[in-house]
Amino acid sequence: MLPRDTAFKLSMLLPLVLLSAYFLLLLGSQSAFFKAEGFIDQISRADILSAIALSLISATVSSAIAVCIAIPSAYALARIDFPGKRLIDTFIDLPMVLTPIALGTLILMTWNTAIGRLLSELGLTLPFTLAGVILAQFTVVVAISVRMLKSTFEQINPRQEQVARLLGCSAFDSFRLITLPLAKRGILAAIILTWARAVGEFGATVMVAGTAKGQTATLPSSIYLAMSMADLPQAITLIVILIGISLLVLFGVRLVMERKS
Amino acid sequence: MIRVKQLIAQRGSFTLGPIDIDLGNSSYLTILGPSGAGKTLFLETCMGLLSPQKGQVWLDGQEVTQIAPEHRLISYLPQDLALFPHLSVRDNILFGAKRRQLDRTQVEKRLNELLELLELREVIDRKDVSTLSGGEKQRVALARALLPEPRLLFLDEPFSALDATIKRQLQVKLREVNQQLGVTVLHVTHDQEEAFMLGEKIAVMIHGKFRQVGDRDDIYYRPATLDVARFLRNQNIFDLTVEAVLPDGTLQLGNRINLTGPGYAGAERGHRLAAGIRSEEVMVIRPNKPIGPELQDNLFQATVEDILVFGGTHTLCVKLSGSNITVDVELPNCAMRDLGYDIGDDLQICLRKRSLWTIPMSCEPSTKENVHADL
Repeated sequence: MLPRDTAFKLSMLLPLVLLSAYFLLLLGSQSAFFKAEGFIDQISRADILSAIALSLISATVSSAIAVCIAIPSAYALARIDFPGKRLIDTFIDLPMVLTPIALGTLILMTWNTAIGRLLSELGLTLPFTLAGVILAQFTVVVAISVRMLKSTFEQINPRQEQVARLLGCSAFDSFRLITLPLAKRGILAAIILTWARAVGEFGATVMVAGTAKGQTATLPSSIYLAMSMADLPQAITLIVILIGISLLVLFGVRLVMERKS
Repeated sequence: MIRVKQLIAQRGSFTLGPIDIDLGNSSYLTILGPSGAGKTLFLETCMGLLSPQKGQVWLDGQEVTQIAPEHRLISYLPQDLALFPHLSVRDNILFGAKRRQLDRTQVEKRLNELLELLELREVIDRKDVSTLSGGEKQRVALARALLPEPRLLFLDEPFSALDATIKRQLQVKLREVNQQLGVTVLHVTHDQEEAFMLGEKIAVMIHGKFRQVGDRDDIYYRPATLDVARFLRNQNIFDLTVEAVLPDGTLQLGNRINLTGPGYAGAERGHRLAAGIRSEEVMVIRPNKPIGPELQDNLFQATVEDILVFGGTHTLCVKLSGSNITVDVELPNCAMRDLGYDIGDDLQICLRKRSLWTIPMSCEPSTKENVHADL
């Protein structure tokens, strides 16, 4: 190998090594506070089990709703020409650039309008409810889902749908029999990433649903609560659980992506 | 079979048409035109993938302009084939038959016929279409298009991505398919060789309009407009004036070169026209050989200025003596070897009257003009 090539590769590898070392430092620094014997006790506590369950349920429901809405929305953005498309395409990205706390505030303020009050009267109340947690998580993650799926649909050759139409498929059949199977892996990756983002959601959830133990305290908000009460062992336990779940999900995404390529 | 009346379609700033065409059963029409001429847009509009702004599409005497693509019984083979990568070879081929719920016995029979005709028996059980070669993919896509027994087969530059040998084999196969199965084909291409080899009739489309529709010889030897002549690589085009109209209709032409050329209706002294001859139609007169009566007109002394080699042919760029007019002369390699010309050599050429075409300048179309085609 030429010396210049080696120098180039080293210049690319060095930041990667430094970044990995930084993440390892973040994780390794916790070992002093992490006690394996206390971990089992902590994890069997009712409030922690409740936080895990709430996080898993709310993230699953919010990401499922987000993906169900994102699939047709992303397809429309990728394939259908309509007036104001560029504006809507930009508008959909808004939740990705707004801080989750601001998004949470927007949701709360909306519930103070006539429409919000009507929804509350119909039983859809947000503070200290599971619905509040799900709505907050949905609002944060839906844009990610739309963006990922739009890119997936754009990569599918529209000629395949057209050929399917001429071979006897209706527009819906060609979507069902050709586009969806071809988008399968992209949809799976979108589900996993949306779910991972929902599990880690904190700002909007705290603003909208609060952090009532056993009611609306998710894993991230429980970490915040534990730290605010200087309960370091509990905070570390929750962080380890969150890291475990996140690593599993990210590993899943990698597997899906590798199969896709 | 298919009849298109005053069809106008729009994509972005590009306008197609108005197009009129009437294509009979079992015929083979190639639509030849440069990239961006609107050929694909025309197919998409006929197939119902794009709504026309105006006009009508009729299939078998029934107006289908507002009918969904799946109900038109047209099959489509696009340039990139669009095979379904998540389906096996068999499922790809059978896709249309399943969607149309065709009779299983008939489908089996047709499948066997196509496997034989398109030599696909060896690959029919492949699970992954990406393992097929370029030629195999092409044949699978053709089988998929033909299996549901379409009324019409639309081909959009289907061989453009293939190497020359496979391309030629598939072109021959496609002609066989048209003859054996009697399917009506509308084939879009920018490849002139392909258009002339396959099309019983050829329509030349330029700037979204049919400039000329006719049989091979008409298009090749008698271009109707200058842009058709230029697109069909007519290198030798002269800007001339009618000096006299002879009693047999032949024209005496002059300007920077004097020629005897074929007449046209309404030709009058003083008319400006374009005259041309294909480079392969220019005769090189062998030294010391008697000149036949049909070669007596349009004889010129010339000097070889350049020689271009194109594999099987050579093109001599010759300058006519006493003028600065250059004429391209195409010779097959064997003739070139016999004659042994080199740059600077003198020779005599003949622009045979019967090989010349003439187009009155007054007939040169604006971009709004169009040709109606009954085939």
